Amino acid sequence: MTLAVPPRPRTWPRTLVVLAALAGLTVLTCLPAIGGVELDFASIAKNWRHGATKLAQLAQPDLRFLPRTWVPMLETVQMAIIGAVAAAVVSVPLTLWAARPTNPNTPTRTIVRTVINVIRSVPDLVYATILVALVGVGALPGLLTLFLFDIGVVVKLVSEAIDSDRHPYLEASRAAGATQLQANRALALPQTLPLFANQWLYALELNVRISAILGIVGAGGIGRLLNERFGFYAYDDVSVIILEILVVVILIEVLSNLLRRRLT
Amino acid sequence: MTALPAPPSKLPATLWSLAASAVVLACIAFLDVDWAGLLGLPAATWEYGALMFGDPTWDKLPRALFETWRSISMAWLGAIGCVVVSIPLGMLAAGGVGPAWLRYGLRGVFAVIRAVPEVIIALILLTVTGLTPFTGALALAIAGIGTQAKWTYETIESLDDGAAEAVAAAGGGRAAALRWALWPAALPTLLSFALYRFELNIRMSAVLGLVGAGGVGQMLANYTNFREWGTVGMLLIVVIVATMLVDTVSGAIRRRIMEGAPSRGMDRSR
Repeated sequence: MTLAVPPRPRTWPRTLVVLAALAGLTVLTCLPAIGGVELDFASIAKNWRHGATKLAQLAQPDLRFLPRTWVPMLETVQMAIIGAVAAAVVSVPLTLWAARPTNPNTPTRTIVRTVINVIRSVPDLVYATILVALVGVGALPGLLTLFLFDIGVVVKLVSEAIDSDRHPYLEASRAAGATQLQANRALALPQTLPLFANQWLYALELNVRISAILGIVGAGGIGRLLNERFGFYAYDDVSVIILEILVVVILIEVLSNLLRRRLT
Repeated sequence: MTALPAPPSKLPATLWSLAASAVVLACIAFLDVDWAGLLGLPAATWEYGALMFGDPTWDKLPRALFETWRSISMAWLGAIGCVVVSIPLGMLAAGGVGPAWLRYGLRGVFAVIRAVPEVIIALILLTVTGLTPFTGALALAIAGIGTQAKWTYETIESLDDGAAEAVAAAGGGRAAALRWALWPAALPTLLSFALYRFELNIRMSAVLGLVGAGGVGQMLANYTNFREWGTVGMLLIVVIVATMLVDTVSGAIRRRIMEGAPSRGMDRSR
């Protein structure tokens, strides 16, 4: 006797619908009449030499510029660290309030989550623009921008990780008569600390990258110098700054990988 | 009766945390910040918050929606461009797929792209395609490749080797292993990352608006410079609502891709 092979499931109608939806959306995003993007590949063919010249200029860094970058770079790193640490401190209670296992109270959890989602949905450079208008040019608006951005990232990612895990130890603590606060303090916090540490370090890495652009709107750090040199068409200096950002980002990545191994 | 083992020494941990605190304190002490400005912040936030949201100006809403769609379009086309380039390149850069020289070369390129701020890429592209949303979409596509390709090769490398070994045992070559073992296993994760790229681009497109690529970010920056706080408030509301909407839809699709369909009629917990 032969075993009949089960028929192949019919998935092509569904695939077709999904592909049609994606194609439709793509077409809508290419209609300039309703705000879409006008695809203009002809201009690339016509003007690619301009870009190539710029890239060639960027490929010749002028290392004599390096000493002038130390102070702004140091300012960027300081802003990144202070922003990440301040956000780390504030993120602990907010995260525990935003996750179901550590805050079973639905109204307060919804409030915290909504506030975090609103904070997250404002782009970082928009914060910087408005904060520069509020508190003036300098490192302070940059710091506040990094702080707000980091809170959004850490609270969102860690609280979702807590939500998706199982937490038998919290059940055990409740059976032993602990209040939610005691359980969070004694069990949930040490259990989730590696998750937190991971995201704090990730926030630090992101901060260095972001502060490269914060300078454009006057929020301090290496970005101000970058913007200034770009304004003077000093591409050899610009490429020095980009290389320096690359080195600092890699250093912070290496350092945070070391710390990660130590902490987790 | 055995004695309890001695508790492990806490000295290294203490030293590490002391060193970390010293670094942080030094940063705070030496950063040239007008800390007094922080004291005035609550009052200033309240004042400008009232100006922005007390009475938002709604007469520019149609223009704002038009620009929002332009931002979404830049983000979408940028995500498509980024994913189309980074999936094949990322696959080639994964361990065990391409030759070693290609792998390290590609990874170096990805690292450099990650370090270059999007704004710089946009400013270079401006000279080619002009002050258009197309420049914005291109800049998003190129700037995203660094991270997207990194996620791609990390995804491929974290896959179970079993299926690829089975293909090799059945006589398949590298291309066959890629097509029949690695590709189907990695596809859901890669699709989910592609949608995530779209969500990231939505935020990033505001940044590109500041250099003149268009979109709601440019409008927001302009009206902030004009000090027309009522319009700024309206634009902020539009940005927040649009971003949250995109996040919700895209997040739901990502969960559906990663976790599969919800079981129908077989859920015992009800």
